[in-house]
Amino acid sequence: MKTMIILLQTLMLIALAPLLSGLIRKIKNNLRMRKGAVVVQPYYNFFKLMAKEEVISENVSWIFRITPYIVLSTVILALFMVPVILSEAPLNITGDFIVIIFLLSAGRFFMALSALEAGSAFGGMGSSREMFISSLVEPIALLTVFAVSINAQSTSLYAVFMQNNMQVSAVIAGMALLFVAIAETSRLPVDNQKTHLELTMIHEAMVLEYSGRSLALIELAGYIKQIIFFTLTVNIIIPFNLFPAGDIFAVSLNIAVYFLKLLTLCALIGFIEVMSAKVRLFRVVDFLAFGLVLATIAVIIALLGY
Amino acid sequence: MAYNQIIKDIEKEMKINFLSSEPAFNDEVYVKVRREDFKNTCLLFHKKLKAPVMMLFAVDETQNKGMFKLYCVFESVQFKKWFFIVTEIPENNPEYESLSSEMYSASLFEREIKEMFGLEPNLSPDSRRLNLHDEVWPEGSYPLRKSFDIKDIKESLKKEYVFRKTEGEGVFEVPVGPVHAGIIGPGHFRFSVAGEPIINLEIRLVFTHRGVEKLFENKLPEECLKLSECVSGDSVFAHSWAFCSAVEKIKVIKVAPKTNYQRAIFLELERIYNHLTGIGGIAVDVGFSFPHAYASIMKETVLSLNDKLTGSRYLKGINIIGGISKELSGNDTALLLETLKSLKKDFESLKKMLYANFTFMDRVETTGILNKVIAQDVGITGMAARASGINRDLRKDFGACYNKIEFNLPEQTKGDVLARLNVRISEIEQSILIIQQCVLLLNSADSSFNYELLLGNKFGLGYVEGWRGPVLYWLKINEAGLIDRCKIVDASFHNWQGLSYCAPGNIVPDFPVCNKSFDLSYSGNDL
Repeated sequence: MKTMIILLQTLMLIALAPLLSGLIRKIKNNLRMRKGAVVVQPYYNFFKLMAKEEVISENVSWIFRITPYIVLSTVILALFMVPVILSEAPLNITGDFIVIIFLLSAGRFFMALSALEAGSAFGGMGSSREMFISSLVEPIALLTVFAVSINAQSTSLYAVFMQNNMQVSAVIAGMALLFVAIAETSRLPVDNQKTHLELTMIHEAMVLEYSGRSLALIELAGYIKQIIFFTLTVNIIIPFNLFPAGDIFAVSLNIAVYFLKLLTLCALIGFIEVMSAKVRLFRVVDFLAFGLVLATIAVIIALLGY
Repeated sequence: MAYNQIIKDIEKEMKINFLSSEPAFNDEVYVKVRREDFKNTCLLFHKKLKAPVMMLFAVDETQNKGMFKLYCVFESVQFKKWFFIVTEIPENNPEYESLSSEMYSASLFEREIKEMFGLEPNLSPDSRRLNLHDEVWPEGSYPLRKSFDIKDIKESLKKEYVFRKTEGEGVFEVPVGPVHAGIIGPGHFRFSVAGEPIINLEIRLVFTHRGVEKLFENKLPEECLKLSECVSGDSVFAHSWAFCSAVEKIKVIKVAPKTNYQRAIFLELERIYNHLTGIGGIAVDVGFSFPHAYASIMKETVLSLNDKLTGSRYLKGINIIGGISKELSGNDTALLLETLKSLKKDFESLKKMLYANFTFMDRVETTGILNKVIAQDVGITGMAARASGINRDLRKDFGACYNKIEFNLPEQTKGDVLARLNVRISEIEQSILIIQQCVLLLNSADSSFNYELLLGNKFGLGYVEGWRGPVLYWLKINEAGLIDRCKIVDASFHNWQGLSYCAPGNIVPDFPVCNKSFDLSYSGNDL
């Protein structure tokens, strides 16, 4: 039964993931006084790309072909470890917060490798920039983990999410994680998903050589990564298990609150994206330094026991 | 000091007498020199007037005189004159001494003349082709010669273009284009980078050479009006006005003051909508999408205003030789003033939005600096020049219908993206002022047509300060009344060079916003 629920939950989140992007786009367009595409446009794009022919450079090795699958499997594996409906360990996977972060890093490693494969100038630029940024982001993510783990006395996400009282340190850690979420989902002011300017791209420059089914899978992986980070952020700031009664009513309340939190975060991200310019590439350090400071403060406060 | 004095000074300094020097119109002086004196004369004018070469072009007169004529054009703000240094080059010995090693602003023109007319600049530092790409165009065919026949073109040799080489440890090349991700013209950008910083940038353009100057030839001026509107789609009015004023000069057609004021109004409308596009473009190129959306709405307001006033959103078909096809009525001017009033209010909030955003300001400040010395040497003109502290504007320099109108030139010196943005912002404000004053003068100016058909010179220069910079049309009309030669210089021609000099030292992801701040036209360059 539990296995079924976990499977259902994961499938639901995968199915839901593109919607968040569609939603953010819609919010952004409304803020800019534009009509914009429908909210379900990411799904249309996905199925369109799945049906399209794939063009692969003659010069690439197996890494290029296998990368979309590796990236997608790592994010799905990570998704299995994120508790959303049940706050208990599913499938006996002994994965904690740290594993999630390094699973995603593994995907990124392959992505950066494959971007170098075709030998185009943009791929190389994209890889080097992505690695530069991820070296700044990972410390923030890990410090956040430490802060919330001190509260829960465990690095297990289930232990973290089981907490049902709001902690000051957790709120600050969640805010630090927001910086990570923005950088990891290549959003403004770190990266710009919607740009057409190859020279400014970071993540998009790495996937320029992909088309058809591979591109669809990589985009899907991006959506899933986004829902993972959004879920972590909102559930750390406001605990998931607000109504720990355990009956159906409490569970559905929790789920409703979860979606409300996601929606709020989407609106916030949309607002940030519309109202900010992209920072200069080397100023990303300054921007992410805020996140690092917040995460450090969170650790200190957590050590003090708040 | 009269303008004659400078000519005499130069004659004295060179210890020669010019073959002739005579004014052709009240603003054009033609100084004829021997071929061997051409280089030194040009250099002295360049030095004395402190002006770059605005135009350098050849005219084929081999059919009746057996020689080519070479014109080098300088602008003198002091005397409100255009100086044309003219020399003749015999057909059987088509060469002259290159100017570009001592006057860089002549460099691109020399390469153009070489491939179009086959006139060889001796000791030229750069002998590569400019417009006619080696990959597609065979050697030995000179398309702007009168004797050129398209049927004579042989199979091309498929030579490869040689880019400047930058070598060193960790230096690699990033080729971008000619096909780009946006809906823009084609251009190839070859970056040499060490990590993110750009060490060198070479821009290769003219993938869509259309033979515009050739198309003008052997047609009646009236037939070419539409053609001039198509040279650069975002400067329709500036180009057609420059063309019309050249024809009007040659045919001695006096244009009524009222017409001039109306033309000035339309020119400023063109400036406003393009500057709005550019400001929004700068914002979106650094990922700042809200001001972009806001500026787009304002741009649309101006375009629909154009449509209501003239029936054409991009101001096509308004200029006719000797006048304009659509006079502004009282209702029109009322609508115009009202729209501008509300536009000004919106514009203030757009300004605030940009200047108040820290990340945006950080992106544009100190980015893409084009210093004044380079700008002067290369011969940067217009909006980009004003941002680097070169305060030249044909509207101010030559006055004409702007004599009675008060407006200020922007005072910028830094030459970075922010300076160019500031120039555009202040020019929009000044444009609104100019239009308001023109409307007042419109009511007082008389509208009687003064159509004098006198025989004047058969050649003349039309010039207009478009939104991007000077638009110059030099026309020569033959006995039959057909255009014999039309040389067009759009500000883009000089300013692309400026872009390639401002890029080194910046990081690669900052290049698009540098590019956008210059806002150059591919079609205005790919003639």
